Amino acid sequence: MRTDSGLPEKMTATAAQLCPDTLATRLASRGDLTAFLMQLAAEIGADSYMLVATVPSQARSNARIVASNWIFDTIELIGRRLIAALAQGPHTAAPGMPALPLLTAEAPAAGGVVTGEEARLLDVLGHAEIYALQLDVGRQRLFMLFSAEKAGSIDQTGLTRAQLKSCYALSQTPQLVTDTAAQDTLSERERECLFWVSEGKTTDEVAVILGVSANTVNSYITHAMQKLSASNRPMAIATAMRNGII
Amino acid sequence: MPAHALPDESSDLPGSFAPGIHALQAPSMPDVVRRFRWVAADIGATAFGLYTLGPAVERTRLVACFDSDYPGVSAFTRALSDGPAGEIARHARASTQPCWWAEGPAAGAQAAFQTLAWARPVAQPVPGTAGIAFPVHADRGHCGLAIFIGADIALDDNGLCDVHARCFSLFGAVARLRLNEPGHHRAMSKRELECLRLTANGYTSEEIARALKLSVHTANQYLTQSAQKLNAVSRTQAVAKALRLGLIE
Repeated sequence: MRTDSGLPEKMTATAAQLCPDTLATRLASRGDLTAFLMQLAAEIGADSYMLVATVPSQARSNARIVASNWIFDTIELIGRRLIAALAQGPHTAAPGMPALPLLTAEAPAAGGVVTGEEARLLDVLGHAEIYALQLDVGRQRLFMLFSAEKAGSIDQTGLTRAQLKSCYALSQTPQLVTDTAAQDTLSERERECLFWVSEGKTTDEVAVILGVSANTVNSYITHAMQKLSASNRPMAIATAMRNGII
Repeated sequence: MPAHALPDESSDLPGSFAPGIHALQAPSMPDVVRRFRWVAADIGATAFGLYTLGPAVERTRLVACFDSDYPGVSAFTRALSDGPAGEIARHARASTQPCWWAEGPAAGAQAAFQTLAWARPVAQPVPGTAGIAFPVHADRGHCGLAIFIGADIALDDNGLCDVHARCFSLFGAVARLRLNEPGHHRAMSKRELECLRLTANGYTSEEIARALKLSVHTANQYLTQSAQKLNAVSRTQAVAKALRLGLIE
């Protein structure tokens, strides 16, 4: 795995000069990812891109935006819940499956995920057609939205390739994708305890496995729950698994 | 001139299909193998195989769905599934990038693979072979590898993406075929899955009961049943198993 800890956070290549395939060998920083996504969007005729991770929260999912060139006001106006719904909509294409556009002009009539008002807003703000693609990055699942101001301007054959190249690029830069807030802070012991709990072991059993007292195990798990901002053990396990910690 | 504007010559070959046209609504296993054979022929591979990753995180084994000797088993598959798959399986869990290996440092295949911007080299999974492996994923957490063997495999960057898209589509078809096999797992009811999903999101039994307008006993009953069906000893393990199986997101 590559880490970019030693590199300065800047673009090591400018988007205008290089094609995505050339950028592949140098992807290391946040800036490189931006350059790569901009170039990829330009290559298939899309005006905007948005890379989204969906976060289950309460009853409906929410979106965590990883990278995007949508204007801030669009995101604020339509809201993250709608973005999550767009990303996981009925038209969302898994790799190797045909991608279908969401045409915002026809969206409300089609009984899609957006209402008339939201569709009009998206149309006015420059998202007349939106393609939602599912990205499989190792076992992690993310979503990419490519959109254009004019319907029909996105090249559909290029889209499948762009989808896979996005998977490849994100596989190279896993540190940019995962929610690092929780991952870095969990200690090895806390991670180990969570793993055994996820295997169905009780506190006493984990204590025997790790050779420590049951109180110590409970304290490890309590700390892990705090760090993962989970309210109970099943939620801590689920959060840890979704973030690829265990 | 961007390369993707060029016509995709592989789609003109007999039997291959563009990723955009999904011709695999209800295929059978021999159909999938035939389509896989076409992919192998398109890139000049002499042998191929599709494998799923076993559930163990450490020392993962590769389990063959089929290979080029279908319905038999090839020597390559036997050598590959003999022991833990090592680096190649670890790679497939963490990354979607294709990975290749060559027979020796001076082999011809290596030169062809080295020009690929997106693929990375990996340790030889079976000695004396050269090939390329594509990590593939399907719904419900299915994870696998499509492997093509041959010293004369020819691929460019766009071809790599096209072949990978076809592998994804075929692996999805295999995963759906497996799902329909009778007795594969005891079906979970909608309510049980709903209760598990809410538990994973930190709901207590009381909160689930309120959210779904059930009594607390009913909510607990659903959770007990789902734990039983998943062979789990606690609801925490049931949540973990359901996540691993992809029953909940």
